[in-house]
Amino acid sequence: MKKFAVGLYVAVTLALMAWGYYQAIYVAPNDAMQGEIFRIIYYHVPSASVAFLFFAISLVGSIGFLAWRRSRQEWAQIADAWALSGAEVGVVFCTVVLTTGPLWGRRAWGIWWTWDARLTTTLVLWLIYVSYLLLRRFAAGPQMQTLAAVLGIFGALDVPIVYMSNRWWRTQHPAPVFGGDSNSGMDPTMVGALLWNMVAWLAWGLLILGLRYRVERQQQKIAAREAQEALNA
Amino acid sequence: MDQAAILDHEFRIAAYAVTWTIQLGYLAWLGLKWRAQKRNAERLSGKPR
Repeated sequence: MKKFAVGLYVAVTLALMAWGYYQAIYVAPNDAMQGEIFRIIYYHVPSASVAFLFFAISLVGSIGFLAWRRSRQEWAQIADAWALSGAEVGVVFCTVVLTTGPLWGRRAWGIWWTWDARLTTTLVLWLIYVSYLLLRRFAAGPQMQTLAAVLGIFGALDVPIVYMSNRWWRTQHPAPVFGGDSNSGMDPTMVGALLWNMVAWLAWGLLILGLRYRVERQQQKIAAREAQEALNA
Repeated sequence: MDQAAILDHEFRIAAYAVTWTIQLGYLAWLGLKWRAQKRNAERLSGKPR
């Protein structure tokens, strides 16, 4: 039953990805000013949204770990696995944002990169979570998970700054398309394509997040068994 | 098609290709990690591969 549910979810996700691609390439029109290059928005913006969501999951997991690390060991391990999974998959999506953005910028602005508030805070966000992953990978000892949880919480503080950066400061990066001033907004066909791609990338992201979580939980169980065997030896 | 439109097209394809390379690359790495872990779990439980 579980295998069937997972298979169905994978099939729905792949169908959504194909539908999102069709919407982005064949349904949405070219932008009047930017032409075809504007279609990068259908991968760039959903990737940023999913990255933010997964960093939020990492934040909740980190808080959960700190809250339960003394009282409920099993819950703390589950929270820690979500924190790590959210951070790692979030970095994957943030990497997509930081590579598709310069490709778009090169054609739209004539430059690959500029140190404006939106781009810089996004790069800082990526660097914080890469540091988190390096800490998880190379640090050892009982304090590692606690240190990582603190860094995870610290990193998540940058998410609202990234989101608000092009509202708070004048940036090269465009003003918000949604929730901006009275001049913001998009053609309804473009909105439809963007929303379909948001749903598709979210479904894809949740799929790999679930897989990553499962791998991490398995890793925790193996580590616990190895520790037990070492004690018994 | 003028030169600018051709470049826009190529950059758009590059952005989509990079996105899929990153996503599928990560998925492949995760798959390899899962497989190695499975072997490790089997070794610990004493089962043959």
